[in-house]
Amino acid sequence: MATPGKVRALDRIMRVATGIVAGGSLVAMAAILVFLLRDSWPSILYNGGHFLTSITWNIGNLYSGAVSRHNGVMAPHGAAYGILPFILGTLLSSLIAVVLAVPLAVGIGLLLVEYLPRRVGDSLSFAVEMLAGIPSVVIGLWGIAVLIPWIGRGLGPWLQAVFGFIPFLRGPIGSGQGLLASGLVLAVMITPIIAATTRDVLRQTPRETKDGALGLGLTRWEMIRAVSLPWSASGIFGAVILGLGRALGETMAVLMVSGSAVNYLPQNIFSPIGTMAATIVSQLDSAMTDPTGMAVHALAEIALVLFVMSIVVNVPARLLLSAAARRGGEAQ
Amino acid sequence: MKFSLRSGGLAAALVGALALSLAGCGSATTQNQGSVSLQETGSTLLYPLFQIWAPAYTKDHSDIKITPQGTGSGTGIADAVNGTVQIGASDAYMANAQMSADPGMLNIPLAISAQQIMYNIPGLNHQHLHLSGQVLARIYTGKITMWNDAAIKALNPGVALPALRIVPIHRADGSGDTFLFSQYLSFSNPTTWGSASGPQYATSISWPPVPASLSATGNGGMVEALQQNKGGIAYVGISYLSQAVNDGLGYAAIENKAGQFVLPTAQTISTEAQSLVGQTPKDERVSLIYGPAQGAYPIINYEYAIVNAKQSSSTTAKAVRQFLTWALTTGNQPSYLEQVHFLPLPPAIVKLSEAQIAKVQ
Repeated sequence: MATPGKVRALDRIMRVATGIVAGGSLVAMAAILVFLLRDSWPSILYNGGHFLTSITWNIGNLYSGAVSRHNGVMAPHGAAYGILPFILGTLLSSLIAVVLAVPLAVGIGLLLVEYLPRRVGDSLSFAVEMLAGIPSVVIGLWGIAVLIPWIGRGLGPWLQAVFGFIPFLRGPIGSGQGLLASGLVLAVMITPIIAATTRDVLRQTPRETKDGALGLGLTRWEMIRAVSLPWSASGIFGAVILGLGRALGETMAVLMVSGSAVNYLPQNIFSPIGTMAATIVSQLDSAMTDPTGMAVHALAEIALVLFVMSIVVNVPARLLLSAAARRGGEAQ
Repeated sequence: MKFSLRSGGLAAALVGALALSLAGCGSATTQNQGSVSLQETGSTLLYPLFQIWAPAYTKDHSDIKITPQGTGSGTGIADAVNGTVQIGASDAYMANAQMSADPGMLNIPLAISAQQIMYNIPGLNHQHLHLSGQVLARIYTGKITMWNDAAIKALNPGVALPALRIVPIHRADGSGDTFLFSQYLSFSNPTTWGSASGPQYATSISWPPVPASLSATGNGGMVEALQQNKGGIAYVGISYLSQAVNDGLGYAAIENKAGQFVLPTAQTISTEAQSLVGQTPKDERVSLIYGPAQGAYPIINYEYAIVNAKQSSSTTAKAVRQFLTWALTTGNQPSYLEQVHFLPLPPAIVKLSEAQIAKVQ
């Protein structure tokens, strides 16, 4: 039987328990950061600033027996680690994904909220959310089977025929594996997220303002431009940043279509690339053959850079989105 | 959508129970009713042979089951070292540095295999082009970019080489084939590729940046990449030769140390083996690349089983010893090896391998 004392005690227990669980996620993030720092520390000592600017990824010569020492840590002779190609690959593929996904996703959001009747909009919404749930490896497999041959034989030659004056589009197309394929696969993956969030943000535009605009004689598109989009701007921006954060960290699908390039920068949009996340996976087995362990530490340093990058991208996005939600709540 | 706490809790409990019951089913070595399950992983060059060996062995010895995988020699070595598998397959022997880090590891040759250089040049795939170590090194450093380059023409007089861009394909994963190919390039180009400033050799090397180059995973991936890229050149293990030739790809006659251009046939491989096996030390870590003999094929190797001398249990150790001994004797018969173009080990090497197998406890 629930006496007042019992209810108060239960309330306190729940407060403490949820506090622990919520704090637990912060603790988990801090623990990951500590683990990454500890595991990558030898590589930070060995490579220094060159890690972010050098193009060469070399685990050194394991069979020569010689060992280099630098700052007190050992690595096989000739080992030198630089991740500039991977940073560039990550940024470029995410940029292509965002450029392709944002117009499409905002368009889908507008369609779902402004143009379709509620019932149709809801079932289409459901479909968009299902698309977000597809595992990335499935999309990667689709990329290998369908997208890459199409880029190699169809899209690539067409782009060169129509836009060949742009230097970045000229040059060998190769098999289709590369930057463009990665960008397209990422665009497919982030469109549902941006579309769903945009739809939610657009729905919160106050009804009276929209009706007022329509009442003044604006067409639907003019109303969207004058009322919905400005109102939702920060929320849509937050959604885009969220999508960007997903694109930066996406591993599996990109690993399958990017071509796993090491030691060179992309020459054109069809060049094979390496991204930070995909490189950690593709180089892990090779790194484990290094008896000094430096190669694995270097991979941990890539993970650290990726971790920092994703926090830097995701935190402002979340703040923007929660601010937009609060504003939407106030207006109701 | 209404979500009641009770139905959600029930669903979670069911899923949890199912997961736990399935989790108990698998483990690295399961022993029930005296049967042992061995895991093998590693070299994709040895993988086709293991795929033939494993069911044949289990047919006669139903108490030992072997699960092979093809993941690359680098993974084979790493997984054998950290105990994830009992037998790691590798075309490359372990480096001195790796042996000092893990002194209990054994490199046990099981057969002799080889590697060929394959290419996809429309119209020329039925011909065996002559390629030398110098030309191959220059292709893989980006100094030779077209198939009708003067250096290739000089080696192949009378062959109509097309003005086709060369696409050098290499392995992305830690690969024994990379080890063999880069060792051949190192030994045939001691002042460039093989020098201290060059890539030298390992299961995983720092490939010089060549804009048109591609990477592939596994020998199967190399063959597939060749099929998809006209002008491609790749190093492929001999166990994939029949399949690749059936797919219409060509392979080269490589220059050996004596200056001859030889194809990988049983004769040329055995000539190379005979001239070098005398140098095999007790721990059997030796390179069989670029031997001096006439008529010898320069890229051959021992296929190693990387095994930890200390196994998790004496039952596992006994199973490993039994299987490896079988592989050296019954498994080395032509009925098995000919399917993958491998050669049997010479009797002296079989003795050395058996001595190493006895150390597995």
